Amino acid sequence: MAVEDRLLRALAVLRWVVLANAIGLNLWRYDNFEHPVAGLLVVLGLVAWTAYATWAYRSAARRTAWLLAADLAVAVGAILVSPLVKGDQLRATIPGFWVMGALLAWAVHYRWRGGLFAGACLAAADLAIREHVTQANYGNVFLLLIGGPIVGYMCESLQRMAAERDRAERAAAAAEERTRLARAVHDGVLQVLALVQRRGTELGGEFADLGRMAGEQEGALRSLIRQQDSVPADGAEAGELDLVAELERLEAVRPPVVSVATPGTAVPLPAAVAREVVAVVSACLDNVARHVGTDAPAWVLLEQVPDAVVVTVRDEGLGIPEGRLDEAAAEGRLGVRDSILGRVAELGGDARLTTGGDGTEWELTFPRAGAGAG
Amino acid sequence: MDPATDSEQIRVMVVDDHPMWRDAVERDLEAAGFAVVGVAATGSEALARFPAARPQVVVLDLQIPPPSGVEVTREVLSQDPSARVLILSASGEQADVLDAVKAGATGYLVKSASREELIRAVRRVAQGDTVFTPGLAGLVLGEFRRLSDGPAEPDPDRPELTERETEVLKMVAKGLSYKQIADRLVLSHRTVQNHVQNTLRKLQMHNRVQLTRYAIEHGLDGGDEDE
Repeated sequence: MAVEDRLLRALAVLRWVVLANAIGLNLWRYDNFEHPVAGLLVVLGLVAWTAYATWAYRSAARRTAWLLAADLAVAVGAILVSPLVKGDQLRATIPGFWVMGALLAWAVHYRWRGGLFAGACLAAADLAIREHVTQANYGNVFLLLIGGPIVGYMCESLQRMAAERDRAERAAAAAEERTRLARAVHDGVLQVLALVQRRGTELGGEFADLGRMAGEQEGALRSLIRQQDSVPADGAEAGELDLVAELERLEAVRPPVVSVATPGTAVPLPAAVAREVVAVVSACLDNVARHVGTDAPAWVLLEQVPDAVVVTVRDEGLGIPEGRLDEAAAEGRLGVRDSILGRVAELGGDARLTTGGDGTEWELTFPRAGAGAG
Repeated sequence: MDPATDSEQIRVMVVDDHPMWRDAVERDLEAAGFAVVGVAATGSEALARFPAARPQVVVLDLQIPPPSGVEVTREVLSQDPSARVLILSASGEQADVLDAVKAGATGYLVKSASREELIRAVRRVAQGDTVFTPGLAGLVLGEFRRLSDGPAEPDPDRPELTERETEVLKMVAKGLSYKQIADRLVLSHRTVQNHVQNTLRKLQMHNRVQLTRYAIEHGLDGGDEDE
């Protein structure tokens, strides 16, 4: 309730300002009093109540319905006794603007409904003591009725905003702490997995299998962490995907067979394009697995040049014999044609195949629309 | 000091906050004939023990209690420029790896590397070679691209790769060994090695120039000697 505390603290100051105003006006209009002693008592009463209210409102525990009721009752009472003290030729009440202390306290504590209720009570009291309602009286009543609810409403909004801000701050702090913990946990897990892999391989036999599985999990986890790290940093707009994270996912599927090298910073592409690029690279890797072997190593290199991204996929197989692709196409096996060349062409890209006895290398260039804008 | 050869014992320090790992690496290195002259679990321990241990190679995990692996790399190399730092990292956080390389580390290996790979890497780093993974080559390539795409005004200090260096680095990133690269480009193994080393040296120089420039611009250069 920090908002209410602050507003009531400000209100306490305002109470003394309007009290000073009331005392000053009453002194100035001293001749208007039919019963000056009674008038003095009323003003002293206002001073006493202001002092009490300043103290009482400071603590949330003392801000009971009784206090607010008494506050309003004093204000209404001060208005009602005014004609008795000042006589029938009343123009201004004794408390004058001082009553806004009670009005605003109600608005702050009970929101717009409280403001409206207090405003209505004060307005009714004010109208009750007038013989004729002047334009000035009407204006005061109008302000009471409209000011109370407005202040109450704004107070409510402030409180809601403060609550939302607190919640957001808590959520951010919690997320940060979770990330920090996750990082510590992940690091520990990675260390153990890497160690199991290493010792397992050394011990051989069943342990080697265990080690290999640990190694796969280690690679998968490491790649996941990198993807998580790149999420807030890349600032990829909606509908964009980070090609780095997407390609690293391929490494995670079959580490350490597939190695992916990237520039280290996010390479955002329209989601559809990024997915197609990944599909082409997957097709290349599938070819390696099919024709060279499932354990055959393959390397993927992603480069970002000024107006294009270049992805290279390399293996160390025996190469693709010349004419083999055309042959395969003629036989109706459209694998490479469709899955690689077709897709690349659709993206407006360019595929270059280098193949020989020491392996096969696909260099795939994809133009980046709107590059340089980013 | 003579360059380390296989017959001499290479002095190694192992810095890792994970006791199991530290012991495993220490055991493997000792079994392979290296002298493990110091171990440390935190950055401050590493810096405290480095001067007395005088290792030729520091095998360093990046994720250690402060100061970080990157700071340890910088500090260790400023104390003894002949020392070599081999990063052995589990999580492979790319920004950290790149920072460590800029700070002067000449080798990088992920922890899933086999024992043989680790031993070979320590030996090569001790000889002054650089140990690159395809992943690190990709990062370094990306860093040079970022530098050349940077501010438009010409910067005389901006490092640039020669065409040959780019070619070699790309091949490393595509998983080719130095020997394969040497065969393809009809170069000697040593020349390929030199090209790779030059790329790192350029990054490190650039980093140092930037740090100095930053220090001067922010009045941290201890200028009281001059004035």
